[in-house]
Amino acid sequence: MSVNSENTRAQMRKGVLELCILSILSKGDAYPTEIIDKLKETKLVVVEGTLYPLLTRLKNTGLLAYRWEESTSGPPRKYYKLTEIGEQYLKEVQQSWFELVDIVNKTIDQQKN
Amino acid sequence: MNKTVTINISGIIFHIEEDAYDKLSKYLSTIKGYFSKTDGGNEIMSDIEARIAEMLQSKTSAVKQVVLMADVDSVIEAMGKPEEFAEGHTEKEEQEDESFQSSEPIKKRLFRDPDNKAVGGVCSGIAAYFDVDIVWIRLAMFLLIFFGGLSLWVYIILWIVIPEAKTTAEKLAMRGEKIDINNISKTVKEEAEQLKQRAKKYGNDLKNNSQDFRNDSRNFFDKLGDFIKDFLIIFSKFFARIIGLVLLIFGVVFMLGLMSSVFGFSIAGTNTEFNDWVNIFFMDRSHYTMGLIGVSLFFGIPFIMMIYGGIKLLFKIHYSNRWLNISAGLVWFVGFIIVLFVGIKTGKDFGEAGKVKEPIKIETERDTLFLTLTKSKELYSRLNLNEEEYDDYDHEGNHVRIHKRHSDYVVANSDKNKLIVGYASLNILPASGDNFELYVIKKARGEDKRAAVARAKSIRYSISQNDSIISFDEIFTVDASNEKFRMQDIQVILKVPRGKVVHLDKSLDGFIYDVENVTNTYDGDMVGRRWIMNINGLECVDCEGIMFDDEHDLPKPPAPPAPPINVEASEANVNIGKDGIKINSKEANVHINDKGINIDTKGEKGEKGEKGGK
Repeated sequence: MSVNSENTRAQMRKGVLELCILSILSKGDAYPTEIIDKLKETKLVVVEGTLYPLLTRLKNTGLLAYRWEESTSGPPRKYYKLTEIGEQYLKEVQQSWFELVDIVNKTIDQQKN
Repeated sequence: MNKTVTINISGIIFHIEEDAYDKLSKYLSTIKGYFSKTDGGNEIMSDIEARIAEMLQSKTSAVKQVVLMADVDSVIEAMGKPEEFAEGHTEKEEQEDESFQSSEPIKKRLFRDPDNKAVGGVCSGIAAYFDVDIVWIRLAMFLLIFFGGLSLWVYIILWIVIPEAKTTAEKLAMRGEKIDINNISKTVKEEAEQLKQRAKKYGNDLKNNSQDFRNDSRNFFDKLGDFIKDFLIIFSKFFARIIGLVLLIFGVVFMLGLMSSVFGFSIAGTNTEFNDWVNIFFMDRSHYTMGLIGVSLFFGIPFIMMIYGGIKLLFKIHYSNRWLNISAGLVWFVGFIIVLFVGIKTGKDFGEAGKVKEPIKIETERDTLFLTLTKSKELYSRLNLNEEEYDDYDHEGNHVRIHKRHSDYVVANSDKNKLIVGYASLNILPASGDNFELYVIKKARGEDKRAAVARAKSIRYSISQNDSIISFDEIFTVDASNEKFRMQDIQVILKVPRGKVVHLDKSLDGFIYDVENVTNTYDGDMVGRRWIMNINGLECVDCEGIMFDDEHDLPKPPAPPAPPINVEASEANVNIGKDGIKINSKEANVHINDKGINIDTKGEKGEKGEKGGK
């Protein structure tokens, strides 16, 4: 049972990870380490490796763009920012997220009563 | 002290420990394997590398300059294991992953295959390595079980030696580039070329250096040292496979030999005769079992390590199991201790020799003793030795054993118990007094003198007398139910006073041992004759005219004159002597000699005939 639950939770995290990344970027540009730090606070990301394929995919679909910035302490940083399409996309997805949460909560409450 | 490697990740230089480097590069190539077919795979890769560089940078400082294994471990932990990356993939992508093949050939390495395993994944790993169907490997393994269980322990060794392919990179390397003759010869050529170039380079370096040798002699020797070191490394790389193969073959051959002998001894342990010997030789039966185990470990462990090392060199497995090495060493040491213990325990019981001399009174006034032997056949029947075992010793129907003597021991069954049967021997020496003297010397070995003597005393041996006939038992016996075999021996000594005679019966052949005599006659030629004790020693009384084997080469003494031959007949008396042939009868005397034939018919006796002849 615990295995199944773990699997389901992993699937849920995976589903919302994209939304979270977009949300973080909507508040300002960030490079992967910053994104990871924020995601880690919310315990959404277990391993960092998961993030990179996702960022690349979002960039390739045109939701994100990036620019290089030199770092004083390390390799140059890749700062991601939301494109206009991305902002549009985020709004739509956020909208449906709230609806979804609402529906899910109501369904769970109904089952309880 | 550890060797470090300098690497460049995302444009940042790191000094990293060699083993940490191995792990990191393996990790990265695994990730690369995952994303090489995905859109923007290279980009993902470089992003990840940038992040790793950042993380490693935070772990190094001006004080701690080197990246350690622990650092790499924590980076991998944070970044996630390659398997966990699959979470980010759609199902379609995952399917692609399985059929993923690198465009660059990956050097093939031997791994155990955990995905297709039946027991330990050894067969599947080998099948992948040689690119053959796993069925054949499994079949071969199975068939090899009939060769003394060969494949069983080979399998276990392989299981230990060959690492399991855990990561994707390892799984790729497991299937990697096809191994064939071309490939191997390519590798060998590359290595040889490397060797040649290195030698050339250092040759040039040396030449340049020798010019400013005076200025910088230290540098010269440093370079020379480096050169030798490098040369040895590359040289050993080049020959590692060959050495590995030789080690492997010898290891397997030695191991087979050891296994079959230990197996043979264990099987022999069920054989009664061998079993008897084990019981009477070792102080305790457990000593035998211990000895067998000890010997197996003492020799087996080095052989197994030869095979282990051979496989490692042959397949270039850079993975060493410290735990395994230590435990192998310990087990070997235990084997050594066991062998030592059993050896000392058993050897100590043979440590001291002891003997007792028991005089036997000879009750005869005669001047000649007739010596004879009670043959073992009679003794065996007296001992009620069972028929089967009797046949064992005497299968040709005659006394085979009698001539195979001394140091020959037999374990025999009597009605009540087991007996150690040995063969006694007799020596004849001059006596100092005027009487025959007979001694039985009993010998044995033991832990100390006292034990040895006590053991010697317990040997049973008998000599029977009937007036002047002395009959020696051919064998002596030791009760095996409470005694061990400790080189028990019986030597009978008969001392003959000067002027007295012994007759050696033919049955004593093989029983008398190294009896000194005036004519240096061999023991075997001494039997069947009378011998008198003279000042110089034993001398044959009735050997005249008989040529012994050892006298062939000696100058022949002039033949003694033949004694006259007289034939007494009812009518005539025939005499053949140095005077010729004389035939005397009532009617006539005939005398034949070198002067002619003389016939006297007067009826006179020989004197007349002789006169007539003259």
